[in-house]
Amino acid sequence: MSTTTGLGQTPYSVQVGIPAAALKAKRVRRRLDLTLWERLYVAEIVRGLVVTSKHFFINMIGFIFPPAGKKRKVFTVYYPEEQLALPPAYRGRPVLVADADGKEKCVACGLCEKMCPAHAISIVAEEKAPGERYPARYTLDMGRCVYCGYCEEVCPKEAIVMSDEYQGLAQRDRSQLRFEKEQLLRPEGKVKTRLSYVRRIYSKWNY
Amino acid sequence: MLADLIESLAKIVFIFTVNVGVFAPILGWVERKQSAVMQDRIGANRADILGFTAIGLFHSLADALKLLTKEDFVPANANKFFHTLAPFIALVPAIAAFAIIPFGGRYELFGREINLVIADLDVGILYVFALAGLATYGTVLAGWSSRSNWSLLGGLRASAQMLSYEVAMGLSIIGVIIVYGSLRLTDIGAMQEDFFRWGIFLQPVGFIIYMTCAIAENKRIPFDIPEAESELVAGYFTEYSGMKFVMFWMAEFLEMVTISAIVTTLFFGAWHIPFVTDAMLLSWFQSAGPNGAAALAMLVNIVVFFAKVSFFIWLQMTIRWTLPRFRYDQVMRMCWKMLLPLSLINLSITGLVVLLL
Amino acid sequence: MSEISKDLHTEYMVINMGPSHPVTHGTVKFLATLEGETIVDLDVEIGYLHRGFEKMCENSTWQQVIPYTDRLNYVSPLINNTGYALAVEKLLGIDVPERCKYLRVIACELSRLSDHLTNVAAAGLELGAFTAFLYFVEARELVWDLIESLCGARVTVNYVRIGGLKNDLPERFEEKVRYVFKEVRRLWVDVDKLLTKNRIFIDRVRGVGAISAEEAIAYGFTGPCLRACGVPYDVRKAQPYLVYDRMDFEVPIGETGDNYDKYLVRMEEIQQSMRIVEQALAQMPDGPINVRLPQVRMEPKEKIYSRIDSLIYHFKTVIEGIKPPPGEVYQAVEGGNGELGFYLVSDGSGKPYKCRVRPPCFALTAAMPRLVKGRLLADIVPTFDMINMIGGECDR
Repeated sequence: MSTTTGLGQTPYSVQVGIPAAALKAKRVRRRLDLTLWERLYVAEIVRGLVVTSKHFFINMIGFIFPPAGKKRKVFTVYYPEEQLALPPAYRGRPVLVADADGKEKCVACGLCEKMCPAHAISIVAEEKAPGERYPARYTLDMGRCVYCGYCEEVCPKEAIVMSDEYQGLAQRDRSQLRFEKEQLLRPEGKVKTRLSYVRRIYSKWNY
Repeated sequence: MLADLIESLAKIVFIFTVNVGVFAPILGWVERKQSAVMQDRIGANRADILGFTAIGLFHSLADALKLLTKEDFVPANANKFFHTLAPFIALVPAIAAFAIIPFGGRYELFGREINLVIADLDVGILYVFALAGLATYGTVLAGWSSRSNWSLLGGLRASAQMLSYEVAMGLSIIGVIIVYGSLRLTDIGAMQEDFFRWGIFLQPVGFIIYMTCAIAENKRIPFDIPEAESELVAGYFTEYSGMKFVMFWMAEFLEMVTISAIVTTLFFGAWHIPFVTDAMLLSWFQSAGPNGAAALAMLVNIVVFFAKVSFFIWLQMTIRWTLPRFRYDQVMRMCWKMLLPLSLINLSITGLVVLLL
Repeated sequence: MSEISKDLHTEYMVINMGPSHPVTHGTVKFLATLEGETIVDLDVEIGYLHRGFEKMCENSTWQQVIPYTDRLNYVSPLINNTGYALAVEKLLGIDVPERCKYLRVIACELSRLSDHLTNVAAAGLELGAFTAFLYFVEARELVWDLIESLCGARVTVNYVRIGGLKNDLPERFEEKVRYVFKEVRRLWVDVDKLLTKNRIFIDRVRGVGAISAEEAIAYGFTGPCLRACGVPYDVRKAQPYLVYDRMDFEVPIGETGDNYDKYLVRMEEIQQSMRIVEQALAQMPDGPINVRLPQVRMEPKEKIYSRIDSLIYHFKTVIEGIKPPPGEVYQAVEGGNGELGFYLVSDGSGKPYKCRVRPPCFALTAAMPRLVKGRLLADIVPTFDMINMIGGECDR
């Protein structure tokens, strides 16, 4: 295409340094020839009314005769009576995983604390026997957490995962947002799906 | 004498109930639900009484209660008298305009001739235009008395828009008046008994012009620049809260009903069913005796009238939710350079045709 | 002022369209000096969303910066992630595997879809076409559902890593993409019918905010706004990164640079983005998505659990950060609004010495007074909409 712009009458390809064959510029259809009816507003108004009326009647009928598998045709999910099905990748609240004895798997290595971009985690580590560390205090400040998933990614022990909890996180006081270890623990069974998802995405078959 | 009084009172009470009692709250609900269904949503339906949600109808009640209990403030530098007066001036013409609209024909009931219209004035349609002129003051006063830059802009735009469109509106109706030869709305309605004498066939251009001008008078999208939500926050009623806000809002809805009623009366056969004359209607109910037949015919005509009114309200709402809004100068240009010449041409052609035929 | 008003005591009215105003979506303040309804002068004040992105980057490791980049242009976060990761990889001098490049292209185009859908929707909303807004918001919800299934969050995605990606595609992604694109195309047709030839809409946006190509380049425009002026500059074609040189797509250009052209360019780019995603999904090879350098990218968890050297690399890169050699680099990607540039300076430690972002909408907002002077107050609305100033990007 040898059409030009106001830039000194040079063709496009020379101006921006892209060879014309690769450029494939496409003119948008700006110079519309509006017909008389369109210029009199009538045609477009009628067309717009047809579009919205079509949505209106399809949705109205969809209230009475809902399509297969759904309660109604409209796009809305009627929360909290109905909830969305979350994908397995969903990152909700971080929780600590408890093993069969109810003790946390965490060994207080401090990687999640160092990695957290919002500095939400703080750990006080202790040793209960030589070589066996555990977190005496594990504080996760939900007011700072940005749900990025880094803590889950760097944990070498699969001790913290992003659960699918997104409800009940609000508190009336900021101090109550600092969750301690006891509030964060979940039995392994409850986070089984997330653990298997995490194992899958960070395994060498997905790398 | 007494019977006349009772009849008038009955009609007034009926219209008032239907308008303010039924239409205003229902229209709030319709606006929410209709826009929601058009936009693939459910709409507001959570307000309930004792766990019983009536698909969202209680939201109107909840809104009214909430707005009643809001603090009623007047801005610091505002002109208090006009600030309080403006909503009333906006609301009263919208309600009063219904006085001349016939919602049914003439019936012989128990020896009396009942004319289903509150006031059968011989100036008919001019009464409505007079009231529309009054309604302009409400908006202008609201904008000016709030002493805020934004409200002032809204009031300015409103005054220019409403005044201009009144002129075009009046001219568009004159064509109808020439064709039917009478200003009385009851006469115009009665003359539309024959389906092919409906106003829409005799004055199609007049219908389009009138509809456009009426939506512009009512300040609905696409002409809602005085209250353009995204430019002027809320335009001329930015500084209003509580019941006064409700009055502006109700005035808008009731004027929608009025516009629909006038369009039905002038262009779409008023209370008539297509291809059914009055005599045919009465003959359907012959078995109920003359009084019963008249009563049933009256009922049918009222239902038909309000059904048509509802259709035009639906149409106005669909237009509102579909189209973007004009810019201020485009509104003015459309009125003075497009609608006014068009209505004058329409008028001249109508006059010529009536003269020659 | 006009001749008549010289005798009358008139004055200009100063209106403050302040930081919180229904039309300024993004916190920005306009001080408009009006004569009646005509704008005599416009003063733009930004910075209400300044959060100190560059300063924060100086105190975080290279990997910790990635969630911060999500929050730059928050309607197209994956593009920001990709831009930053590409810049750091340029510093490191490494190249990611093929599959990773294709996946990054898919992620970028999905984000670009979300950006353009949001912009056109907001333009419709502020001009009063509420239904067009909600149709495109529905389309955007579907695209966000796709992104959520890919990486777990809709807006703060944190998906791209330095040297690769967080995870591969989820199951049945192609199926979901097919379904979502069918719906988006259906809604696109609806909004097209509602707006494109609508005389009311055209009268609002055509001829408003026009700017010539030379002036646009002088201001530093890039992206859809520059393409609307007729200059076919697209970073994806001019300096191809990732695998854009293997993708077959067209670059829509306008003519006069007014709002209508910007709208048309964005609508066409929505279609082109969908084309790119479909091509990338078809052409994508199998293979690894991360580069095999433990000093840069975390190794698979089996290795970390079992080998000591992997564990040590893991600990060192997390605690000290990856260590690119000292130097500086500039990497530009095509963001939703234009050329999004990252200028990184490394001093050899694990934290960036400087991380400067070139926000595309900064130049566009700077041109606002030029675009709107002499026009009516109501023209600020569509002009500012089509510029698509995203507060997070302009103010960082």
